[in-house]
Amino acid sequence: MAYRHFEFIEKHVWTLGIATAIMVSLGGLAEITPLYMEANKVQPADGLKPYSPLRLAGRDIYVREGCYLCHSQMIRALRFETQRYGPYSTASESVYDRPFQWGSKRTGPDLARVGGKYSDEWQRVHLLNPRDVVPASNMPAYPWLAKATVNGQDIQERMRVLRTLGHPYSEAEISLAPKEVAGKTELDALIAYLQGLGIDNVPRQAGAAASTAGERKP
Amino acid sequence: MSAFWSSWVIVLIVLNLGISLLLFLWAPRAKVPTQADGTTGHVWAHGALREGMHRLPRWWIAISAASFAAAFGYLALYPGFGNSSGRLGWTAHGELARDTAANDRLLDSLAQRISQQPIETLARDPQVIAMGKVLFADNCAGCHGSNARGNHLLGAPSLADDDWLYGGDAKTILTSILDGRQGAMPPWIEVLGAAGVQNVAAYVRSLSGSKPHDATSALRVSAGKAQFAPCAACHGPDGKGNPALGAPDLTDSIWIYGGSAAAVQESIRNGRNGKMPAWRDRLGERDARVLAAYVYSFSHGNAQPYD
Repeated sequence: MAYRHFEFIEKHVWTLGIATAIMVSLGGLAEITPLYMEANKVQPADGLKPYSPLRLAGRDIYVREGCYLCHSQMIRALRFETQRYGPYSTASESVYDRPFQWGSKRTGPDLARVGGKYSDEWQRVHLLNPRDVVPASNMPAYPWLAKATVNGQDIQERMRVLRTLGHPYSEAEISLAPKEVAGKTELDALIAYLQGLGIDNVPRQAGAAASTAGERKP
Repeated sequence: MSAFWSSWVIVLIVLNLGISLLLFLWAPRAKVPTQADGTTGHVWAHGALREGMHRLPRWWIAISAASFAAAFGYLALYPGFGNSSGRLGWTAHGELARDTAANDRLLDSLAQRISQQPIETLARDPQVIAMGKVLFADNCAGCHGSNARGNHLLGAPSLADDDWLYGGDAKTILTSILDGRQGAMPPWIEVLGAAGVQNVAAYVRSLSGSKPHDATSALRVSAGKAQFAPCAACHGPDGKGNPALGAPDLTDSIWIYGGSAAAVQESIRNGRNGKMPAWRDRLGERDARVLAAYVYSFSHGNAQPYD
């Protein structure tokens, strides 16, 4: 190439713009595309099951109320995080999360392994008015959750949709769903969801490295 | 990553770095035709602005060269070039393991003391107390409060006094932390009836010195005393409680769910099922012993649960 080619690029703004866009997108194509195209290779962690109907309802309430705006569910592989929250999160733990709830901001603490840390009663009191148990908390209260009940038919529809995306729900599980959520409030559902977080998929030996199955390289 | 996507990444990196490097090496040597006045001949604003000719500044060349060196060095040492794991074999998980091991070595002598010395001794160890303070704030303060004074709404007992549901010796405190506790006060409304609940509540409150304020409440107290028999199975005939069952002493003025008439009536009417979660899996033996020592120290004058 000679100088005149560069002079052409320099003098034609659209050529310059397109050439710049190509160079800038190379990084994104290298970093994002392979992960995006190979996401289906991530296998569920050992013992990880799709959400039960009640927990599924709770998860949808978690998303609806925007809990992810202040709480992450992603324990990074850093000592001060594993010391506080437990073993680091892996991609294989989130295969049944659509969309995943990793979050990007922690106004409140990480919730990836909060299941069982508090009693159900604590969760109830805390969701209705966080100040009752943590005086300095700035989390909003969610009193309406105790008044709304979960709709069983709706949950069945959601389970059917998730099944088309590959979540292994059986017909029996789907038909039993309305029974499981009958009479439950949204508060019950959200507590069931929270109390299950990180319970079924914590690596068996405390502190041991998580299974590498399904892990992705950067 | 499959071989295809690995080569995809490699091709893109070669393309990106290759084009930039080519430009970097070629541009300073490029022959730019110049006009008689020493400019490139590019003009703007009808000739008012003309493009002069200058070599690239040295600092710019130096920074760009350093960026290339850093990019090639990084790709050689760290994972990034397709499936290559890099010369250093670095992984985030490996770094975490090293970091954790280094931290454990720092805590080695402390950890040894924690596992070997009795909890009563640890409760006087300033390093253990400092560690306990952090662990308490993160794990216990949610229910027992950052000042350890408990929470009547949850029935989380105060840990700052020397009154204990299950016993306040160091071993019992450790057991409570490791295995949790499940309170089980049954509902009594079916047995006692609405009036009975009021009577027994009045009697229970009188045990800790609450004086009946009129003739009706005096009658309630005496009626409640007669109906107290089923309560004695757990709380004892004199209401002194039973640490083996975690049945609280009703004769002191310390209340798990509050000592108002309404709160005591609610406890009798619908029962209570306070729950302390088990911490064995979450904390492990070492941190549980630290917390037992920290909690034990409150009632033994060695530390305050708040600053």
